[in-house]
Amino acid sequence: MGSRMLTVVLLVGLFFSVLALVPQITALRLPGNQQGYEPPQPIAFSHRLHAGELGIACLYCHSGAEKSRHAGIPAASTCMNCHREVTAPFGAVRAEEAAAKKEGRKPERIVSPELQKLYDALALNEKLQRDPEKMPVAIAWNKIHNTPDFVYFDHRPHVAAGVSCQQCHGPVEAMDRVRQVSSLSMGWCVNCHRDANQRGIAGNKVKASTDCASCHY
Amino acid sequence: MDSSDTKRYWQSMEERNGEWSASPDEFPEPLPEPATAMSRRGFLQTAGFTLATATLTGCGRTPVEKAIPYLVQPDEIIPGRSLWYASTCGACSAGCGVLVKNRDGRPIKLEGNPEHPVSRGGLCAVGQASLLELYDSERLKQPLAAGQPASWDEVDQAVLAKLDAIRTSGGAVRFLTGTVTSPTLQALLAEFLGQFRDAHHVVYDPLSVSAVADAHQQTHGLRVVPRYRFDRAEVITSLDADFLGTWISPVEFTAGYCAGRNLEADPPQLSFHIQFESRMSLTGTKADRRVRVAPGELGVLATHLAARLAKRAGVRFAAEGLDAIPISPELLDEVADRLWQARGRSLVVCGSQDVRLQVLMNFLNHLLGNYGKTLDIESPSLQRQGNDGELENLLRELREGRVAALLVAGVNPLYDLPSSSELAGILQRVPLVVSFAERVDETASVAHFVCPDHHFLESWSDAEVIPGVVSLFQPVIHPLGQTRALAETLAAWMRKPQPVYDLLRQNWRMRIFPRQRGENEFDAFWDRAVHDGFAMVEHKPLQAKPFQFDAVRAIPSVEKPPSGALALVLYPKVGMLDGRHGHNAWLQELPDPITKVAWDNYACLSPATAARLGVRQGDVVRIETLSADAATPALELPVYIQPGQHDDVVAVPLGYGRQGTERFAKVGPRWLFAKPSVGENGRVGVRAAPLLRWTGGCLSPVGREVRIAKTGKQHALACTQSHHSLLTPQNIPWIGGKKRSIVQETTWPAFLRSRSGGTASHTEPPLKEDLWPPDHVYHGHRWAMVIDLNACTGCSACVVACQAENNIPVVGRDEVRRQREMHWLRIDRYYAGEDDVDVVHQPMLCQHCDYAPCETVCPVLATLHSEEGLNQQIYNRCVGTRYCANNCPYKVRRFNWFDYSREDRLQNLALNPDVSVRSRGVMEKCTFCVQRIQEAKIEARRQGKQLADGDVRTACQQSCPAQAILFGDLNDPKSSVAQAMRSPRRYRVLEEFNFRPAVGYLKLVRNRAEDSGEKHDG
Repeated sequence: MGSRMLTVVLLVGLFFSVLALVPQITALRLPGNQQGYEPPQPIAFSHRLHAGELGIACLYCHSGAEKSRHAGIPAASTCMNCHREVTAPFGAVRAEEAAAKKEGRKPERIVSPELQKLYDALALNEKLQRDPEKMPVAIAWNKIHNTPDFVYFDHRPHVAAGVSCQQCHGPVEAMDRVRQVSSLSMGWCVNCHRDANQRGIAGNKVKASTDCASCHY
Repeated sequence: MDSSDTKRYWQSMEERNGEWSASPDEFPEPLPEPATAMSRRGFLQTAGFTLATATLTGCGRTPVEKAIPYLVQPDEIIPGRSLWYASTCGACSAGCGVLVKNRDGRPIKLEGNPEHPVSRGGLCAVGQASLLELYDSERLKQPLAAGQPASWDEVDQAVLAKLDAIRTSGGAVRFLTGTVTSPTLQALLAEFLGQFRDAHHVVYDPLSVSAVADAHQQTHGLRVVPRYRFDRAEVITSLDADFLGTWISPVEFTAGYCAGRNLEADPPQLSFHIQFESRMSLTGTKADRRVRVAPGELGVLATHLAARLAKRAGVRFAAEGLDAIPISPELLDEVADRLWQARGRSLVVCGSQDVRLQVLMNFLNHLLGNYGKTLDIESPSLQRQGNDGELENLLRELREGRVAALLVAGVNPLYDLPSSSELAGILQRVPLVVSFAERVDETASVAHFVCPDHHFLESWSDAEVIPGVVSLFQPVIHPLGQTRALAETLAAWMRKPQPVYDLLRQNWRMRIFPRQRGENEFDAFWDRAVHDGFAMVEHKPLQAKPFQFDAVRAIPSVEKPPSGALALVLYPKVGMLDGRHGHNAWLQELPDPITKVAWDNYACLSPATAARLGVRQGDVVRIETLSADAATPALELPVYIQPGQHDDVVAVPLGYGRQGTERFAKVGPRWLFAKPSVGENGRVGVRAAPLLRWTGGCLSPVGREVRIAKTGKQHALACTQSHHSLLTPQNIPWIGGKKRSIVQETTWPAFLRSRSGGTASHTEPPLKEDLWPPDHVYHGHRWAMVIDLNACTGCSACVVACQAENNIPVVGRDEVRRQREMHWLRIDRYYAGEDDVDVVHQPMLCQHCDYAPCETVCPVLATLHSEEGLNQQIYNRCVGTRYCANNCPYKVRRFNWFDYSREDRLQNLALNPDVSVRSRGVMEKCTFCVQRIQEAKIEARRQGKQLADGDVRTACQQSCPAQAILFGDLNDPKSSVAQAMRSPRRYRVLEEFNFRPAVGYLKLVRNRAEDSGEKHDG
């Protein structure tokens, strides 16, 4: 008797747990698939602002994509090309200017808290000059698009063939925080290579290899 | 009739005697069978456990990876791209030009600099392996005072105080170094020693050629080692000189030697090389004729040869009452004839440390008119400047207690020299002993101060190894420890401390720049030299005196050991040299090119002598000197039976038993049955230097008379000669009933008659027609390799190049004994003949077959063919069934039995980031350096260019001093590899089985008559 009750309870439990899983069935992924990964970053850098609104070219910061295997994360010195001058969002600067005008004083220099992290990393003082008292600290970003160690992906041939950045990375220019859009699985790579061989890229015929040793060595 | 059809080749004595047959299995140790068959219940339990584990591991969160960019990115660095710097190799004093591959701030590969005028693109195994020593955690990180870590300031003050005292007291200061090729360091040394009233710079080379220089002092009035030009020599006679292996400048000599043996030139060239030697040297294996002569017989042999040539030249040479010629007189006549006919185009060299013998060599070369043509003393070699006579003087002074300060740099006298225990006692009485060693070696252990020098990749320096060619060393990494360049230390001790960069530039501005004409500005000259790695400058040729015939004396009699005794020959091994690189795991694991033994030294005996003494390979014997001398201890070494060695000789490699090799106790995988790679003494091998002998003012490695006694002990050598044998099992019939040798050779007359040197069957595939359409059609590239057996010397530079490029682990002695060495590229050494054996070296690597037997048996498709002809091995797909290795006819696949972590974690920095580090349980093999192919293809595509011939160079090809390896695209008919593939000399290994390998071999051609007494299989 007791065992029959137990069976019923277990079956009912199983039913409900399957029911609970059904809506999330699309979220089930193979181990290692990081699709949708969207970690917070040490500095809340917005691609939507830089690449979207301001229209800075991807290769301005990720210049390695043309020349090297890795697109690379720009060095802090690249950020300083603009942020030596721009220390806060435009809106905040305008608000301060308006407030200063109203109060009849000189507008203060505003530094956004996120950019302050950049200046701290470079050990800069208020005048954005190197402060010998401080130690520079490298910025450890969370890596989002990550292939396993046995995969040798190379940006160069893809950029040279005219594959757009968005084709793999998704609409980064619309993301505040970058999310992994594609699965980066081998099937996803190979499908695209096969399509490219059939249809070409940007109107050009290409030869995208599907040899194992193109990526695995 | 082609000799290669009937010549019988064998790899080991057991194979020759029919006591050994190729193991049918790739893996000699079968896995233990379970005692009982698996029950259904047991199977389900295991399956359930596996499923549960797989589910659990799948549930783990992927670890967060960090990406850390530069804060301020240097202009020239793009993360992920390699930078190449031209520099110079500091692994020995030969001074070869290198290119250093730097990746993200750390050097990861050394390669030969093709533009360097001395080494011409080659780099030997030792040079390539010296990279590993940069990342050695046992290198000293700061100076030592009385064995304790100290700061540079403390050491400088203490040493200066002592030096000041010596300066006032006038005590003797002796600076003992190896050959110093750096003009800057030489100038600084002279300046430093100039401060003292009694100071002297003493130079010795652990592998000394002092007798060559002494002989030239006697005959030409110049104490120099000539520059030998093997490229200009058409007849080469070598008496015990291993010039392709270890003698003076092997990379340079190999390049020259091969230039004189170019069969693809029009007309083809082949020098004649005869080698008289007692042991089997690398050079001997390449000789057209090799004659076994005991070391004591060389003098008489040279005298007889000199008498014959003097007669032809009409020069009076008193040579009466000579002992009989130790070889057949006809052969000696032939050698004399050949030399005489090639006057000015011949070369006689000798590796002996007997000055009388070297004087005879000078006499021979003088009679032949070779001076100024094939050997040059007016712009001599500066690669070995040692003077054993001065060393002997220094030892006497030390013994008499007349030295106040001894400074030792670049050498390790307590290891290199005999009677080291006595010397250690003497050094304790010297008031100031300073060592500049990079690590605590034998001499540094007794020094009062150790002031560690940089590794050569960390420092600025220069080297003038040939007058007029000044090479530059440049740092490619910030020093890993608080080490200091020797030049900087000397400057500090002269109270004008300066960075070595400034010292170097000052010296170049003052002394090198005025010797050049190309540039007006020093900075332009300097920049070009840094870019090229060397600078060509003018030099004033030395003035030699006319030949001093008085110096020449006949050596009338043979030195023969008493009956029952043997003559001892100590010799350097290609990988180990004098032992200065003993702490290098790559070199320890490199099988010797001749004996194929790694991780040990041994006593080589000829098969006849071993039979006479009743010893077998691996028996431990005692080697005792006849002269009862308490200071020379007996050596206990395992026997190695060496075909082709003289019967009166026992040969023992130097360079083993070094302090610092204790570290290898923990090399290799740790498991239940693991045995350490060190011997009972806690070190790798046994130090043989105590048996070196002082004779006539020179330190000689030969000539001691020894007796061999059995000890009854056994020591299994890690010998790879019978591993991975290509021997075809007897039950497989030969196609067409004809045996096709794995190595093929022919003779010069046969080659001239028909360029294939034999029957046409060797160049055409045995099966011209195929029932099936080809499995693989190549539309784009089709990668292929051709290896010229005629050029290959077996020097093993390619083995280490492959190891460095492809992250190949070191497994240790015990694993090598279990046939588990991991080298992707091995060099198979074959013997042919009975007593006077011929040797063939054959580099063997994955053949990338079109019809690859490995591909068809893989159950998970982890090995398969690419569109460009590569046989790909996909590590992440491999489940480790090892079927492929069992089915590989060439035995080139290697299985990861363990995770082979490096014994020294710091050495992980030498890993190539472009090649996966394989984990336990996967198969691996040669990839034709696919990472280099990919890089070249991608770069060509990025720049919108077509891939040109030579854009892809494999690691083994790049550094081959003989340029024996060609690699390229077979679908490009103009590529060098396609041309070589069409050579009539080309054959493929095991071609009759129709695997269609992508690697071709070019037949070896020996310069000898067709019926010159070869032993045939019949």
